Amino acid sequence: MKRAPLFVIAGTIAGLAGILSYHTHPAAQAALPGASSPATAGAQAKRAGAALGKHKAKLKGAGAAAGSVQSVVGATEQYGYGELAVKVTASGSHITDVAVTTLQTAEPYSQQLAGQVIPTLRAEVLSGQSAQINGVSGATYTSQAYAMSLQAALDKLHIR
Amino acid sequence: MATELPVVNHAEPVMGTVVSFAVVPGVQSGRAVSGAIEAACALLHRADAIFTTWDAQSPVSRLRRGAARLSEMPPEIAEVLDLCDYARRVSAGWFDPWAMPAGVDPAGLVKGWAVERAMAVLREAGTEAAMVNGGGDIAVFGAPAPGHAWRVGIRHPWRAGALAAILEVSAAVATSGSYERGPHLIDPFTGQPAGRTVSATITGPSLALADALATAMAAGGDEVFGIVAGLDGYAGYLIRTDGSEAHTSHISFVS
Repeated sequence: MKRAPLFVIAGTIAGLAGILSYHTHPAAQAALPGASSPATAGAQAKRAGAALGKHKAKLKGAGAAAGSVQSVVGATEQYGYGELAVKVTASGSHITDVAVTTLQTAEPYSQQLAGQVIPTLRAEVLSGQSAQINGVSGATYTSQAYAMSLQAALDKLHIR
Repeated sequence: MATELPVVNHAEPVMGTVVSFAVVPGVQSGRAVSGAIEAACALLHRADAIFTTWDAQSPVSRLRRGAARLSEMPPEIAEVLDLCDYARRVSAGWFDPWAMPAGVDPAGLVKGWAVERAMAVLREAGTEAAMVNGGGDIAVFGAPAPGHAWRVGIRHPWRAGALAAILEVSAAVATSGSYERGPHLIDPFTGQPAGRTVSATITGPSLALADALATAMAAGGDEVFGIVAGLDGYAGYLIRTDGSEAHTSHISFVS
């Protein structure tokens, strides 16, 4: 028998628009949807992007689980519609999880969305906590704030 | 039975996001799988270096400001621009990298294209199955376990930590939307922020095209939904700003 990769959704996040944090069995790592290069950027974002590009996470072999697990939250960064902060969890120098822990959206957009619900027929999956899935698809953070907060968290973890 | 190696996971910070891998080794050794993942990551870093708009000296930045001709560019740029042109025609202009305010910007297709190629590296290395998730743009092949399909949650646009749906995916899925940053998607016809759709998901055989079509449907809403419904192999799932939903007939919801 092969072991199925069961990534289980867990965790809730403040803010109207959350990003999912999915945790895995001890031997597995997961990463979160994040930012892609924005169309416009300042020098700060360029530095953050360059630092991200240079960073290489170590490969981890099958089934291995080693190193102490720690989580740090990067700086809270302002972006066009509010502010966000990124939390990185690492086992040793290996990133095991990236999640947005703070996300505040600016008015009036958030007000416009408040209270809206999808009249879905699939109510049983609306709360993904118990769903067994392999990954999450969603619109990605394309703000420099995400990249900068992520880089700050990596720096705190001394991951280069 | 063949090898009992469990799924190998890896997370790679690249392209301004974190790309995650889940690889079912099959008969391949752990060393072969690690080598394939390294090769896939190298491909992603090369794509990042070529297409980043954060670096003013990157090939795409130089092309955008007219500092270099296409013939002087790495071949990947012509390949991606050809795909962009195809996606523009297929989407009736709703995906249009040439209509962006700051110059041609293939970002709406590049990540999907790069992740699709990274997945192909793993497939060609002889692994049994794999998922590559580039910040929500996901390419898969094979099966995560015998008799099981890859299952992908579609993030709920308004409820933190919840899913709007779960899909079974056999090749590619991409989601685009305005829910995380406010209405930032540009309507290529007006140059103004588009505001009719909050979440647009496309499944299909190519992640590059799925990525572009998701961007198009996020901007064009029902008009693009109608186009997707007529495309062989592709399916769409749309959540409008009023909370109403639509999906084409071939999408595989897990219910």
